[in-house]
Amino acid sequence: MESLKDQKDVENSLMDLLEKYSIPVRGPIQLFGSFKPDVLDLQPGYEFLESWKENNQVPLLTWRMRRKFIELKKIVIDRVIEEPCLFRISCRSSIDKWSLSTLLYREMDLCEFIGNGKIVSVQAIINDSDIANLILKLDNGILCSIEISTQLPQNSILQDRHEVIGRRGVASDLVVDTQVAQSSVYTFTKQGEITYTDTDMELFGFDSDQIDHIRAAFHVLKNRELIDEWQQQHKHLVVLLNSVFESGKRLEKINLETELIYTHETN
Amino acid sequence: MRPIKIAILSLTHGHSRKYFQTLKENPNLEWVAVSAETEKIKDVFLRGNYGVPCYLNEQEMFDKHPEIEAVVMASSNDKHLEQFKACAERKINILCMKVPSFNMDEYEQMMEMVEKSGIVCQIELELHYNPVMARIKQLVSGNELGKISAVNATNITLSPVWAFPWQNNPEQSYGKRIQLSPGDNRFRGGALADHPHVFDMIRSLTNSEFDYIYAEAGQNIRKDIQVEDNLLISGKMKNGISFLFDPSWSRLEERLEMPGPGWEIYPKRMEVNVSISGEKGVLLADCFGPNVYHNGAPNDRYTVQYTYFDEWIGMMDEFVDCIRNKKIPRINLKWHKETVEAMNACYESIASGNVVYL
Repeated sequence: MESLKDQKDVENSLMDLLEKYSIPVRGPIQLFGSFKPDVLDLQPGYEFLESWKENNQVPLLTWRMRRKFIELKKIVIDRVIEEPCLFRISCRSSIDKWSLSTLLYREMDLCEFIGNGKIVSVQAIINDSDIANLILKLDNGILCSIEISTQLPQNSILQDRHEVIGRRGVASDLVVDTQVAQSSVYTFTKQGEITYTDTDMELFGFDSDQIDHIRAAFHVLKNRELIDEWQQQHKHLVVLLNSVFESGKRLEKINLETELIYTHETN
Repeated sequence: MRPIKIAILSLTHGHSRKYFQTLKENPNLEWVAVSAETEKIKDVFLRGNYGVPCYLNEQEMFDKHPEIEAVVMASSNDKHLEQFKACAERKINILCMKVPSFNMDEYEQMMEMVEKSGIVCQIELELHYNPVMARIKQLVSGNELGKISAVNATNITLSPVWAFPWQNNPEQSYGKRIQLSPGDNRFRGGALADHPHVFDMIRSLTNSEFDYIYAEAGQNIRKDIQVEDNLLISGKMKNGISFLFDPSWSRLEERLEMPGPGWEIYPKRMEVNVSISGEKGVLLADCFGPNVYHNGAPNDRYTVQYTYFDEWIGMMDEFVDCIRNKKIPRINLKWHKETVEAMNACYESIASGNVVYL
């Protein structure tokens, strides 16, 4: 069996893609590691939650590269599902890979990305650093729930569900009558059940998060105007994240009428 | 690398549209022209605003674009031989749809033309560039399942005949009108002719050739087409691995002239599922899953919306590499010949009711 791909492989594969598609790189870039002046730092946005140097660090919304989310968004945008009313999200992972904050960052961005709107209110119930249940509203009127847990055992595969319910039709990334994500390959041997999900032949052998990282870095280097757009979204997500924890602490729904003006309602 | 100037011929094959995006986006390809077989097909193409000139006459296209280095031969099977001649004369490299010809004399002629002219001829068997198939190959070649005993597979789709009528015309699909079996009012050239992938896959996975094959056609699901729409195939490879294939058009479709949303009646319009049994265990795979799902427009039916169809990227990369670096494609005419012979053996078995040895 092939060995797992490391950070060097990820960086090399990005360079290969850039070369293949003739995308110029202006100056040094990095996909991992701590801040370095004069190096364009391309890492998932949640890596910059503690500190962020706006000039050099590009928060990548890597999950937006995942095909299932692109297709779900397309279903909404193309009005295959008409007049969406309710959006149900759940995302459960293990603490070795994700934290409550990083999962919330990802899922709130996906909520806006797929739902094609901006979150204008949030009500959060949080249990320690393990569980968050959110009820949110988008500015297009869609009511959303987000269930987050970090209590899966270590090394578990992330289990998520994104379901959009409209006046005409329902769309989901889980097939009807199932509770867990399907894989493309299952092997049943003495080692037990092992699953594989391969979706990208150009980046075959990388895991899904690595592929998303490479694709997102490639995407912003190809479309530089995205850098500003994703930086703005990062700022917005940080505000949202703070609002979630504030809502959880105060047991209040927080309305975000604009990015900077909050009103509070007592539960 | 200097981009390869490429054209598409005919535009009558169901896969034609899959090339449009790849030919636009691959920086190693420069899409210079297309030829369409009818005014109607030309009109539909031009409505796509691809900015590529479309000709109704192949000769005229070749004359006006002597720079063409390669073509995607997106035509009915009966057109391939003439198009091979035209391309070989002009030293134009060929990417041919999945069955160059079921007539093995014609097939030999094609091999000779390619050999003499020195052009590259690659067969479009895109499953080779599917990431799930790549994983299956890796697991099998890495001996994760031990010695393999059986490889079973489906290659099940809806029927394309309403959008691509040549696939319901035995002469155009199979090359001539041959009754499926004595007393049967159907002819060769249907679902089996549309689905060579699993035959190719098992050869590639097992490094073995077919020993014997048995095939049987069911009653047609669609009573009003003249070719077979469902069948089952079993047999053994020379190394003892058994197989069971289902290459049927067993998913019903809306009878659209233009494929698009709402084409499928059954939620998933196309599946290639593979199960492999070996002495160390079992593998189950879905080469086109998982996906996303909806029951929205246009028909409010539960529908699989596919999340990846990238096979054409890898396939075109290989085609480019073979042309520029003078390599022989993995899926070349010589390799593919045994796959076509196995498919012909299936038709013989259906006709005779017996196992056919290859």
